[in-house]
Amino acid sequence: MRYLTPLTPAKRKVLVATAAADVPLNGALVFQKERLAVIKDNTGFYALSLVCTHLGCTVTVSENSFSCPCHGSLFNRQGKVDRGPASEPLRRLKLVTDNGMIKVYDV
Amino acid sequence: MIQDFIKHLFPRVVLERNLRLSYTFCLGGLAFAAILIMMVSGMLLLTYYQPTPERAYSSVLFLEASVWGGKYLRSLHRLTSHAVLILIMLHTLRVILTGAYQRPRQLNWVIGCILLFLAIFEAYTGYLLPYDQLAFWATQTGMELLSALPFGSFLRSLLVPDGVGQGLSLLRFYALHIAIIPLVVLLLSFLHFYRVRKNKGVLPYL
Repeated sequence: MRYLTPLTPAKRKVLVATAAADVPLNGALVFQKERLAVIKDNTGFYALSLVCTHLGCTVTVSENSFSCPCHGSLFNRQGKVDRGPASEPLRRLKLVTDNGMIKVYDV
Repeated sequence: MIQDFIKHLFPRVVLERNLRLSYTFCLGGLAFAAILIMMVSGMLLLTYYQPTPERAYSSVLFLEASVWGGKYLRSLHRLTSHAVLILIMLHTLRVILTGAYQRPRQLNWVIGCILLFLAIFEAYTGYLLPYDQLAFWATQTGMELLSALPFGSFLRSLLVPDGVGQGLSLLRFYALHIAIIPLVVLLLSFLHFYRVRKNKGVLPYL
């Protein structure tokens, strides 16, 4: 069995790094390959994983919501579930602002 | 010659009413014939398909666009795969409705159920190979579903050791699809047919 499960390289800790000025207010900066979005609203910055908590498709980012193309789950801007089948909110990723730079970490 | 051959498929003495098509509707035989078509068309597809994430999709496009009969061949493989599943399901339904799973054929019923499961698994592994969006997300969601089962995470790590969309995962699906599952299906099919003949007392024309 050990033959069939190879060692996997350690996960990258910093997923993305970007200038804070690049994130539009009340908008989202989407990193498609990393499957995450950095969002800025009146309270500040936060990062959401775009992996649907139902079965793992990448959600589509629109103005006020995140919708999943696979089974129609709908999340609001905070990542909370508006409509199923997903039952859990989108995962929040650790975000650190430092000197005008934003770094998103895998938690 | 052909007529002689067909004659030899049956015993020397057979009751005419036992030869009626509605006895089994030949569903199992048709399913196996469809599997043979899958093997022949699949072997021809092997000469063009490239099982790497970068080249899989483009090799399918190339086959469809630039190879004589390529599109026909791929459609044949795809449509026949649907036919196989439908025929095996109908065959299972027929066996249930006629009570043919009962003693003394209980072993063959179990073998048949394993074959049904393997056929579905074979179809599922083939689904990833074209590597289009449908294939990719179907595998992504399928693997999430698998994780929900007991030992699911372990099975998932065997099937997709490096995550859906990576090279090893595609290679494992490919290996399962073209070699491992077909071999097991063939072996179990022959055992299935052997058991049918062995239990000939209950199936009068074999």
